[in-house]
Parts: sequence; C-alpha cells; structure tokens
Amino acid sequence: MRTPRSLSTTSSPDAPCNATKRPFAATSITTCIIIALIAQLITACSATPSLPTSYTEGKALPKIYPDYAGVTVPANIAPLHFHIDQDADTYVTRFAAGEDEWVVGGRDVRPGIKRWRAMTAAALAAHSPISVEVFMEHQGQWLRTQPFTIAVSPDSIDPYISYRLISPSYVTYEDLTLNQRCLETFDESLIYGNMINTDEANGQCINCHHTQWYNPQRLQFHVRQHLGGTVVSYDGTTKKVDLKTDSTLSAGVYPTWHPRKPWIVYSTNMTGQSFHTRDPQKIEVQDTKSNLIFYDVETNEVTPITRDTTWLDCFPTWSPDGRYVYYVSAHWQRLDTVALDFEFIQYYKAVQYNLYRIPFDEQTRTFGPRQLMYDAVARNRSVTLPRISPDGRWLMFTEGRFGVFHIWHTDADLYMLDLTRAQPVEEVERDIITEVPNPHDPNEPDIWKRERADSLREVIGAMVPLPETIHAASEVNSPDCESYHSWSSNGRWVIFSSRRTDGNFTRPFIAHHDGNGHFTRPFELPQDNPQYHREFIRSYNIPEFMSGPVTISPQEFAAVVKRDASKATLKMR
Amino acid sequence: MSKKAKQAPAAATPASAHHTTPPAWLWLIPLPLTMAVMAYLLIRYETEFLLRAQELNLWLPTHLFWTGRMAYPGGLASWLGCYLTQFFYYPWLGTAILATLWLAISLILVWAYRLRGPWALLSLLIPLALLACFTQTGYWLYYQKLQGHLLVPTVGILFATLALAVQRLCDKALPARATLWARPLWTTLVCVAGYPFFGAWALGATALLAATPPAPSPQGGAAQSPKPLIANLVLAIALIAIIPQLYYQQLFEMTQRNFVYAAALPSMRYGKDSFEQYRLPYYALILSFAIITVVGWLSAGNMAALFRRKAFAASATPPHYAQANDAATPGWRAAAVTLLLLAAATFGVRAAWYHDSNFEKELAMDRAIQECDWERVLTYARDGSSGVAPTRQIVMYKNLALFRLGRAGNEMFLYPEGSTAQNAPWRIHMTQVGGKLIYYHYGKENFCYRWCMEDGVEFGWRAETLKFMVRTSLLNREWEVARKYINILKQTTFHRRWAERYEPLLVNHDAFDLTKLEASVANGRPLLDEAHMREFAPIMHMMTYPDRLDGDNTLVEMYLLQTFAKGNGDDLLFQEMTLICALYMKDIALFWPRFMRYATLHPKDDMPRYYQEAAYLYGHLEDKVDISHMPFSQSVRDTYERFMKFNAQCGPMTEEQKAVAFRPQFGDTFYYFYFLVRNQKTN
Repeated sequence: MRTPRSLSTTSSPDAPCNATKRPFAATSITTCIIIALIAQLITACSATPSLPTSYTEGKALPKIYPDYAGVTVPANIAPLHFHIDQDADTYVTRFAAGEDEWVVGGRDVRPGIKRWRAMTAAALAAHSPISVEVFMEHQGQWLRTQPFTIAVSPDSIDPYISYRLISPSYVTYEDLTLNQRCLETFDESLIYGNMINTDEANGQCINCHHTQWYNPQRLQFHVRQHLGGTVVSYDGTTKKVDLKTDSTLSAGVYPTWHPRKPWIVYSTNMTGQSFHTRDPQKIEVQDTKSNLIFYDVETNEVTPITRDTTWLDCFPTWSPDGRYVYYVSAHWQRLDTVALDFEFIQYYKAVQYNLYRIPFDEQTRTFGPRQLMYDAVARNRSVTLPRISPDGRWLMFTEGRFGVFHIWHTDADLYMLDLTRAQPVEEVERDIITEVPNPHDPNEPDIWKRERADSLREVIGAMVPLPETIHAASEVNSPDCESYHSWSSNGRWVIFSSRRTDGNFTRPFIAHHDGNGHFTRPFELPQDNPQYHREFIRSYNIPEFMSGPVTISPQEFAAVVKRDASKATLKMR
Repeated sequence: MSKKAKQAPAAATPASAHHTTPPAWLWLIPLPLTMAVMAYLLIRYETEFLLRAQELNLWLPTHLFWTGRMAYPGGLASWLGCYLTQFFYYPWLGTAILATLWLAISLILVWAYRLRGPWALLSLLIPLALLACFTQTGYWLYYQKLQGHLLVPTVGILFATLALAVQRLCDKALPARATLWARPLWTTLVCVAGYPFFGAWALGATALLAATPPAPSPQGGAAQSPKPLIANLVLAIALIAIIPQLYYQQLFEMTQRNFVYAAALPSMRYGKDSFEQYRLPYYALILSFAIITVVGWLSAGNMAALFRRKAFAASATPPHYAQANDAATPGWRAAAVTLLLLAAATFGVRAAWYHDSNFEKELAMDRAIQECDWERVLTYARDGSSGVAPTRQIVMYKNLALFRLGRAGNEMFLYPEGSTAQNAPWRIHMTQVGGKLIYYHYGKENFCYRWCMEDGVEFGWRAETLKFMVRTSLLNREWEVARKYINILKQTTFHRRWAERYEPLLVNHDAFDLTKLEASVANGRPLLDEAHMREFAPIMHMMTYPDRLDGDNTLVEMYLLQTFAKGNGDDLLFQEMTLICALYMKDIALFWPRFMRYATLHPKDDMPRYYQEAAYLYGHLEDKVDISHMPFSQSVRDTYERFMKFNAQCGPMTEEQKAVAFRPQFGDTFYYFYFLVRNQKTN
C-alpha cells in the first residue's frame, strides 16, 4: 500500500526558477498577500482529502481542462494544474509515480510546485509515467474515471519563453505586451508593454521579438507608429534603430538572427489586411510586396538581399550553422486588373508560397543564388514559418492552402522536412491559375471564375504527392490552426501556437521531439489557475524559448524607445 | 484633543443660543432629502442611460479581472467603479447605492470638518459636483477608457473623505503631541499605500489631509501651531511629486510617465483633442473641498483661536476656547453664503447635465432592438417632439425595425429623415456606438464580431460586447468560443441569467442550420424557442450570401447599402434587402433586376408602395424598362402626376426651396426622396 505524501489542495509558493523576477504590476503587492493568507487559512482549516474505499469504475477518461491525458512533459516544467469538467459534489485526485502517491482534493487539481517536483522525480527514478486517477462523488456515490498518464521526459526544457500577448483584434492595439514566462513556475513578467509609451493621440504597436540563439541578452523587437523603430539589445547595449532606407520596402519586419554573429536578416513587407464577410476565419493578412535585407547590428548597415518585385520573400530563418537562410517566397505577376492591394484581395487564394534557401558566405557577407527546397505550390499548398532544429536536421514549417499568415487559416498544420535528405529541387515556371471562365456564360460574376480556378488548382495539387523528405507532424496537429513554432535549445521540445481550444484564441502548446521527426502528444502551457486560458481574452503570439529572463526592465526599454532612432545606412554589396 | 477640551464649548454655550438656534441635526435633514431628489432625477431622466451604462460595463469576481485592473495605478478605484456600476442593471438599486455613497460622503465631511448649522449643507457641494461628473457623460459612455468611470469619482472621493475621517479620529484619540507625528505618518501612508489602489484620488487625498488643519485645541498646543501644518503641506507636496514616479519606476510597467499623476481619472481626451469643459466638474470638486476646508477651519474657531493665542502670548492671559467657538457660530450670513454656493452648484449641475434628445432616443431604441421589440423602435422613431432631425443611427434603427416587421416597402419614408451629427465635440463613429447592433441584425456577424473585438481592446470588455460575441459565434457555428464568452458572462452578477438562457444553444447545433430550423418549424417542433426564433431566424436569412474579403472603413451605413444593393440571393428577406438598398442608393441599374426578382418571389403579395413608386419613376426617367403593362396602383400614379405638376408650378425654385415646398405634400414619397433628399451624411 502506498503512503500518501501530501494532502494539501493548495500550491506551494517555492519556485525553482532562479531567475531575476520583476513585479508584474500590482499583483505582488495586493493579491499575493491576501491570497496567501486565505490559502494558508483554508489549508489549515480544510479537511484532508481521502480516497474513497468503495467506488464504481467509470469507463471513460475524466473530462479535464487542459487535457493533459497522455502527454509527455519535461521534468522541470511547472505543475500541470487542471480543472475537472464534470459536475460532482466532491473530487479527489490521486497521482502516483513509482512507489509514491499524492492525493489532491478539489475540482481544480493543483498539486503545487513542491509536490509536482516530487512526482516528476519519482517518475524519472522509476522510469514510469505519473498515473492520475480522478474520483468524483455525487449524492454519496463515488465514481473512479479511467486513469491517465503523464510521461516525464529526462530531456529538460529551456526555463523561459517569450511571447506577445495580443487580443486577436484587427486595427486597434491597446494593451499589447511582450512577456516572458518561467516555464518552471507560473511567474510571468513584462519585457515591454506598449501602454508605457502610448496615449490617446499616439498609439503604438510592438511586435516580432526575437533572441539570438536563446540568449535573452541579445534581443530585438519592433515598435511601430508612435516612436517607431527597432529596439536591439546586444550584450548590455540597447539602441533603437530605423531600418528603413530609400532602397528598401520598409523597415525590418520578420527577423532571424545569425546564430553567432551580430547580424540579422529581415523581411521587408508591405502588409495589408482585409476581412471575411462570412468565413469564421475572419481575417486575411497579405503582403503585396516583400523582400529580404541583411542588417549588421555593429555597423548599423542595411544591405538588400532580394529585390525582385514579382516575388514575395518572407519569414527568413538562419540555419544553425549559419550557412543558409531559409525563407518562403510566392510568385506574383501583376494582372493589372485593379489596384495592387485589391488585386491581392481578389486573388488571395492564388497567392502561395514555396520554401527556398540562399547560401551565405560569412567571410564576404554575401548571399548566393536561391534554391527551391520544397515546391508546395505544385501541391496547391502554401508554406510559411520555416524553423530549423538546433542540430540542423529538421526544418519545421506551417502549411496551409494559401497565403503566408496562417494563424487565421484553420487548415494550417505543422510539417517536418528532413534536411539531411532534402536536396534543392528544380524550379518549374508555371502560370498561376487565377480564373477559369465558363465558356457558356461570358457574363458570369468574376467571383465564380475565381472559385473555379481554386477548385482546379485543388484538383491538380491533389495529384502531386508529398516529397519523401517531408511528413506531417500529425502528433501535434489538430483540426484547427497550428502556426508559429520554435525549437528548444536541445532540440527535444517544440512550442507552437494553436487555436485548437476555441478556434479564435491562440494558445502555446509544447510537445516532445524524439530527434527523429516525431512528437508526443502536446500539452497546453500550464497555468496556476487551470481555467486561466478560458477567461483570458488575448492570444499568445510568437512563443520562443529563452535560456533565461530578459533583465532589462520595461521602463528601461521605454526610455530607449523614447529616444530618436539611429538611422541605418544602406550598403550595397 | 482632551476630554476637557471637548466638553468646554458645550458647557460654555450661552443658554440663549439654545432658544434661538435650531438643533444641529435639523441642518442634516436636507442632506438625505437632497440625495433622494438626486436619485429621483437620475431615475426619472436617465433610466435608459443607466441601463446602457451597466451593459457597457463588466465586473468579474476573478483574479484575472482584478489583476487586469491593478496593472494600472488606481486599479481598485476602477475595480470598485465596475463593481458598483453593475447595480444599474436595476436602475433604482444602482441609484440608491450611489445616493447612499454620496450621503455617506456628505455626512463624513460634516463630521470631519465639524460643519455646524447651515455650514453642514456645504457638504452637498461634493455630491453635486459628483452628480455633474456623472450626468455630463453623454457619448463618453462609449468612449471613456477608464473602466468603471461613472463611479470612479465617487469611489475616489469616498476614499479621500474616509482618509480624512481616520485623521480626525486620530486627532481625537491621540494626545496633542502625538498628532505631530501621527498626521504626517497618516498622510504618508495614504499616499504610499493609496496610490496603487486609487491613483490620482490618493494624491488628492494626500493634499486634502495636508491642507486640513487639525481641530482647535484649547491648550493652544502644537496642533494649532502653523508650523506642523506647513511641514505637512511640504511633505504632501513632496509625496505627491515623488510617489507616483517611484511607482512608475518600480511597479507600474504599463502607464506612461506623464500620466502617473492622472491615473484613475477619466481622460476626457479623444485622439489628439482634449476637452477641457468636461473637466469642470472635477475642478468644482477641488473648489468644493477648498471651500469646505476653509469654512470648516473658520467655523471651528481656528482663526479666532489662532488670533487669541497670539494675543495670549502677548498678554500672558489664557484664552477661553469656548469664546473662540462662539465667535464661529454660524448665523444667517452663513446660511446665506451656503445657499448662494449651493445655488451656484445646482446651476452648475444643470449646465453640465447632458441632454440630447437624439442621444436619449438612440439609447431607448437600442434597448428596444435588443429586446426585438420592433414596434417600440418605431414609436421612438416617430416621435418628433424634440424638433431635431434624427441622427443616421436613429434612421438606421428605424429602417431595421421596418425591415424586420416587413413594412419597409410601405413605410420607409413615413418617418423623419435626417443626418444630424451626434452631439459630441468629437466625431462619433457608428461602429463604436450602434454599428455592432446594426451589423448583428443584418447578418454581418463577422463585422459585428470584429468591432466588438476592436472595442474590447480599446475601451475594455463590456457585458454588451460579450453578449454580441456569444450570439455572433453561435450564428457562425463557433461553439467553443461562444462557450468561452458565455462562461465569462456567467461569472457576472447580473448577466448570468442571460448567459444561461443562451447556454443550451451551444449544443443545439441544428438550430443554427437554416434549412433544419425551417424544417423543424414546418414539423411543428421548432428547434428554438419563440424568443430565440424571433431573434435568430431573420438573421440567418440575412446570412445567405457568399463569403468575400471586404472592409467597411468604419462607414456602417454606406457599407451595408453597397454590399446589399449589389448582393444577389433568393432568400426572401435577403432579396428584399437588396431591393431596399438599391432603392435607397437611387441606383436604377441595380434596382430593376432586384425589383423584378422581388415580384417573382412574391407573386401573391401586393407590391409595396415605395417599390412601385421607384419603378414608376424609373420607368419614366429612363426608357429601358417597359412599365406600361405593370399594374401600378392608382395612388402611385396620381402622386407621381401631382408631384410632376407641382414641380412644373415651382418653376425656377432652387432645390433647397423645393425641398421645403414639397415636403408637406410629398415628403413621404419616394419621388421626394429621389429628387430632393441629398447629401445624407453617413458615418
């Protein structure tokens, strides 16, 4: 018989995360004191939960949120608190690992950090998963649902992630924040929030935060509109730069740091958005022009990499060895039917992106000719967000039917490309099928011609098989959208954005990677209050791993943002 | 203050005074009476406003909601403001609470400043100023970003007066020398501990504490010496200057440095414009406190005490405190001054009180639409008693009601037309006011949802916004996100019932499939109850159009006219809307095919009057469609003939002159609308 180790229903406040923590507004000074006092009081007064001696065996798994059944977690992750979504009078949950067990009472199952650490340690020691049994009592009758397991991997995960929190809104932007979260605890703090430099007349958008090789001391993010510029923090020096030059489309947009050098490749984009009148996907974000630029942080010089206006180059990512920049690109030859942005709106389903790479010579800082790595357009698909595992073997990307901004596309899924086997493929020149007229009805509405073209592309694409070097990351995909993703520094975990919970709000999910291109069932970012994400009306944007916290305070960033931007100079190579 | 000191004035009061001066409590009677009057006025004139205010508010008993407020200085004031605003769900209840709080503020002030006799009525200056803050709101209701803004001033002032009361208690309870350190300590505590919770109101409280001198002491002790008062003032100024900056550096990461001194104050700014006139009631609050402080100080005999203390120092003769107090006993002059000030304040409230018939009509129509009471909408639309032309929003509400009642074709021009700008000093966007409701009912669910999200981001989440998001998500068959919003609403105090009413629909998926819904009605077992059927079924009919990428540029009316007029569909409701919009746009090319289609789809119905008038007019204007065989009603023909004849009689009149001349006879015809109604500005 196992001996219950702990009988408390409340979280332990001790935190293994040794990082510097800044207060996040007034939470620390108000609620923590009150809640801690109340929690202690409740703990002291509450009865010890005990397992029922007799119960009925249920045949189903318990309905819990987040659904953690069968997931694999790193040993250093924060406790997987969950809420039982079934009505009952009393709830008791038993966790067991190795020879030990822990009993937790309450509908919100919150074992707390200390006990969670003991569970994961016991599971690792016993080479067995944590078993979870939920008991529910209703009108004196106890029911035990089918137990489920949580596997604990010895592969640790980077202690921090950064992300942007944004309401999935469309034009307005208040209360935008770049946040960091300790994955080992529930501590969340602000990197920078736009409201610190925003007033009624001057709004500010912040986006595209990115660190160099997980290093929080080497960070960049953009500030748009009011006090706009790109904030670059590099080993203690923080500056604001203006990357727009006369010879580039825009300032830098989607960034990728060189893995070691102070260089960043950006896409430059002319981006617009329009709104679906009926489709629940609601919004379409499109580039009408986009190119790539190279930026040297030390010399503050910008060099264009691609400039062809008939190609939309986007979402660059540097390979871990620094030899290539991978990116996606769509070909679009103007039809000149209407203004450029309207043309893109009309033919938005015909804009599709392939995966390319360009070799980079570190000595001369020059780029070679591009190579097509995956002809997604041939399959009537569109690729975006290539990200390479730190060992350089796997390239994960998001694929949908069209476009480049897949967070709004419910069909978007994650795919894996094995770079050890992938070879550049020959580029085929093909005309984009934009309209298929009906020969019997020359006056039919244009929209029908476009719909017929969409269908024809679909038929043609279905005949082209997926290359052998590519497979769907089916273990992590869902019927809803999967989009942004990033690799942990040991390549054993990926964190990715998904809208699987409600179709509208993006939540980060983490999955274990076996090194061979396959994953375990992903788990939603754990929260102290398990129902937090149900109430939370903001999306997580660009979740990225970091080796520690950003230590520059929001106020310090605010001071930098207030300064004039240092104008980057154009250097042609 | 010692016991002796407390008792001395009463003991020394001349007996004659008891005969001539009414008891002190008598002067307190007007306080609750005034609150009752104010409450009555609010309920009498502002019920629609109060109901809307609580719909545009949200309070949740959750940690996330709390931390959301506390991310900004003054978070507790905002949290309490939201909490109290929700009680306007029952206007009488919210108003009663509000009046009680104002009464409490008044009574605390009377007690804290020892306002005697008629001076006690001066405490009404504060509630009157708060009433002005409340009733001046108007369209700020939609645009104010400070959540709980209607009640935040009351909460802030209550905090300040309670802080003052505590100081007074300390003054009474502590020995005179102890107040030397107790007062600055308390002032510091109020500022340091109060700022995160009450923002600028804590800074105001700090100033109030420092500016309020201690009650006079018969011993002429340190409490009456000006030095501690000055020291406390200096301390307060330093605290007010430094504390917000320290909090900015250490805690509040989402507040602009320039705004730390205005935290938890309504901004009264929109875009680049700042509207000083809306700050006047707040200045009145400050002025009122200044007056009360001075009067309280004088009436307590401080001036005399101070004066005599100096005299005592010179003469070495102890002053009699009672004499000093006597000197301050208020008489008829005090009553006159008080009444004068109260009259001025009342005049100020009256001047600040926002009255606009169109605003009030919009509120009332909005609620009627929410309840799908279309006849009530038309009753409001018909009411021209104000003599002011309606706003486009009112016209659109009216058109929606007529359309829903199936009477648009016969009545659309029977109501007042207009495009009066909404009465606010900044440009009101319909998307931020009534646009969401209009989009919702016309089947533009994505656009309704979109503007809800935009509003939620810009102005904070509101019950009304979440309710729209529930319903648009249901209509879009997005069950999980609808559940999310329902679960949030279920946590509210008063909107839980609404959420529970819609919750069963989350699993009633067939009800949102128009074909299945109509089949269920035909079978006599409808999938929706009567109320939901009345609400959702017409909207589903309006959603029978293909998806496309689009944008409205915040122009609700223009967007709807354009998209419907160019729309194609065979659904009876949708098709009629395309005809109405083609007619409204005066687009002849778009009109004819929709008119013909309407006739085909309604073979047994009479062709509505205005569709006939349009066809008859267009048939005469252009010779593209042969109308000779169309069975136009005689009245349509006659009206046309009379219109043209009158037009010939009017000869060289300008269009503006004709518009006036034609209106009595032809104002309710399409001919008039076509020829003489132009430049309706939409927004």
